[in-house]
Amino acid sequence: MKRIYLGALFLLHFVCNNYGFSQGFQVNFLSQRQQGMGLAGSAAPYDASALFCNPGSTVFLDENNLVVGVTPVFGNVMFVDSSTQTAYRSNSPVGTPFSMYAMFQLKPAAKLKFGLSINTPFGSTIQYEDNWIGRFALTRLELKAIFIQPTFAYRIADHIGIGGGFVISKGKVNLQKDIPVQDSSGTYGHAELAGKAIGFGYNLGIYFNPSKQLSVGLSYRSKINMNLPNGEATFTVPNALAANFPNGGFTGSLPLPSVTTLGFAYHPCSAFTVVLDINRVGWKAYDTLAFDYATNTSSLSDTKSPRLYKSIFAFRSGVEIKPCKSLALRIGGGYGFCPVPNGYVTPETPDGNRIYGTLGIGYSFCEKFCIDASFYYTKITRSDTNLETNLSGTYTTIALAPGLSISYKW
Amino acid sequence: MVKRNSFFKQIVFVCLFGFTLTSCKPKENLLPNSPGEINLQQFVAIGDGQTAGYMDDALYLYGQQNSFGSILQTQLQLVGAGEIYNPLMGNANIGTNSSLLSKLILGYKTDCLGATGLSPVRFAQQGEVGALTTSVYSSQNKFTNFGIPGFRMIDISSSQIGNPNDQKYNPYFGRMSKDQFTWPVWSGDWSSVQENIFDGGYPTFCSIYLGIEDVLPYARSGATQNPMSPLAGFPGIGFEESLTQLCEQLNSQNVKAVVGTIPDITKMPYFTTIPYNGLNLDAEKAASLNQIYGPLGFSFIVGPNSFMIEDPAAGAFGVRPMVEGELILLSVPLDSMKCHQYGSVYPLRDEFVLTLAELQVIRNQILAYNQVIRQHSNLYGFALAETADFYAKLNDGFVYNGVSMSSKFVSGGAYSLDGIHLNPRGNALLANVFISAINKTYKSSIPFANALFYSSTYFP
Repeated sequence: MKRIYLGALFLLHFVCNNYGFSQGFQVNFLSQRQQGMGLAGSAAPYDASALFCNPGSTVFLDENNLVVGVTPVFGNVMFVDSSTQTAYRSNSPVGTPFSMYAMFQLKPAAKLKFGLSINTPFGSTIQYEDNWIGRFALTRLELKAIFIQPTFAYRIADHIGIGGGFVISKGKVNLQKDIPVQDSSGTYGHAELAGKAIGFGYNLGIYFNPSKQLSVGLSYRSKINMNLPNGEATFTVPNALAANFPNGGFTGSLPLPSVTTLGFAYHPCSAFTVVLDINRVGWKAYDTLAFDYATNTSSLSDTKSPRLYKSIFAFRSGVEIKPCKSLALRIGGGYGFCPVPNGYVTPETPDGNRIYGTLGIGYSFCEKFCIDASFYYTKITRSDTNLETNLSGTYTTIALAPGLSISYKW
Repeated sequence: MVKRNSFFKQIVFVCLFGFTLTSCKPKENLLPNSPGEINLQQFVAIGDGQTAGYMDDALYLYGQQNSFGSILQTQLQLVGAGEIYNPLMGNANIGTNSSLLSKLILGYKTDCLGATGLSPVRFAQQGEVGALTTSVYSSQNKFTNFGIPGFRMIDISSSQIGNPNDQKYNPYFGRMSKDQFTWPVWSGDWSSVQENIFDGGYPTFCSIYLGIEDVLPYARSGATQNPMSPLAGFPGIGFEESLTQLCEQLNSQNVKAVVGTIPDITKMPYFTTIPYNGLNLDAEKAASLNQIYGPLGFSFIVGPNSFMIEDPAAGAFGVRPMVEGELILLSVPLDSMKCHQYGSVYPLRDEFVLTLAELQVIRNQILAYNQVIRQHSNLYGFALAETADFYAKLNDGFVYNGVSMSSKFVSGGAYSLDGIHLNPRGNALLANVFISAINKTYKSSIPFANALFYSSTYFP
């Protein structure tokens, strides 16, 4: 019974919600193999997920490959308000970052590879319990971005590959909060800002393997500005104030930051691989969250909330051991600095410096078909007093994410 | 290797299928609450209308349940305080003021110009009249809230305010007094508030928030009547000795207390909502006023002008324009101002205005009262709640958990519709000032109230 219920739950949320629990609202669940090895491995191409992780590295995969993966994320945020010593919890839906990769070559060992990557490297759905103390800052935020990236890669020398892709990001935003005005029965007002967003960017990578044991990759995914040209603002307020909160359009934009990754892979023998990735994430782009309403009133003016995020580094590392040819065991972990400065932590992204651990397993049923699974766990604690809302307390986030992908190559 | 593999598979299995989210929830590590050096076995809140829950110009049940006294005790209950016993009114919403009018709500009102807009209006045609003549005293459940609307510091041991035949009789006290409207033969005199508080045992801890009513009635009369309580004089006459007498009583029984200072009441919306220079004139009206007042040396311009007021000290005619800093009270007849040239052709009467000189006197008196309160808190080791600082912060405006609070009338979120008493949310914020003081002085850890749990103004 329980299995059926949970299965239904998964289906319901499949391709629906992502729960942002990497730095900011970045989601690093791109490849199950990387998810087993501490989210690192951009210099160790494994399957078609390399199209996204480092397009240049795909040229050394001599195959056509289809990969489909999903990583249900179970995230729980608890906020303990420091002055009232009361705990409030999130009841966010299960997130489902997913990825689909298709990589082709026209003939075996071809120099040119091409493919398509569809995945969700950014997103967040967070919902707090009813009547929580921060309800006038946020009750629910859903950010969704699906990256569609056609990609080409070329082997320019025996040991060097380059690749690039054009990224179309389609997304949606739905932000809700309560408004501190009460009607005659004491019910608070509510605001919902919703809209579809679109943005464009690119993804470049270069890959170099100077020796059989060592490979190095450098990739750059550009910043993408997600624009909401036709947002819809809906306000539920007492009748007497309806004119102050007119429903109508709004515009806004949200930057998805650039990600630069320098990766190393060392595999002294075929049964053993160590990977290290260093990420630089350009969160500095997230300076302000602005909403421009079509109709302004004395109660509804355009908002400009400072975010002042900082660009950050993240260090990720993992190992893979293959006790036999068909089985791979993986373990890894990492540390990411938090882009959110003190005074700017919001219920949207209750983020802090994080340490996390991962486990993974890969199994090839035959030459063509393999399954990879991973498990991710992190716990983040962050105390802050937000300068805009004066919301003051400690956020504790526990997230765990078991992932699964199926790969078929020919 | 095989063993670890199966362990790993188990984890995946548990998380994928047998998942109960509880295992992944962060644990609550809340700071432990502690009463510190105080004993809350018997708590009593002593004060005026604010402590009673008087708001929207009436005492009504919902207000009482959300009074400063009740909210403070609700928090104190987390560290051992007992059940709250309020002298509750019968009806949740009607209530009554001393003129037997019901509470104010925000409704629609059409003014003399025919414009309909939001305005405080009476909730019912008549207040909850019988409530003031019905005793709610119970010898079983001693009141934990001795907040009494209109109660002054100098009334603390007065037998007059409990005497229905006395001019100083306070019906809000009468209905809760143990005398139950009957002259107590055995003691020979009507019992005082203090006697009621100490009846059947002293409290172990109390909050004292008195003094506003020693000056407010004077300010509300435009400094024309209801003189302020003098500083000096015997208990019952002078502010200082009345407080000393109470503190001595408490101290003799080792009762601990938190005592609040008095805010600058002249910064409350009742006094600050109508601007002194709100006389907006067009060319025609300005010319006509210039004709009238030109001979007196006053001139008017197109646009905003000062209202005209009566001031006996102002020249032979006793009329002058207001100057910046002077205040018009919310009791002023607004329709007359809008439609009948009240405040321009006809100067505002003294009772609707506080002049700079009057304000100076009032503010000096508050400073003097506060000096006395601070000295006493110091002398008796009582915690001191600097409510004056809180009210000043409210005047500047601040953001509380994403909600803007200020002392603006109606929209500020903290004052009730009478422009003097706080609403439930304001009371919660005020209670937090007292909690902060208690925690500091008595080394206790009492959590603050969540003010957003308490309501603000309701809009139609």
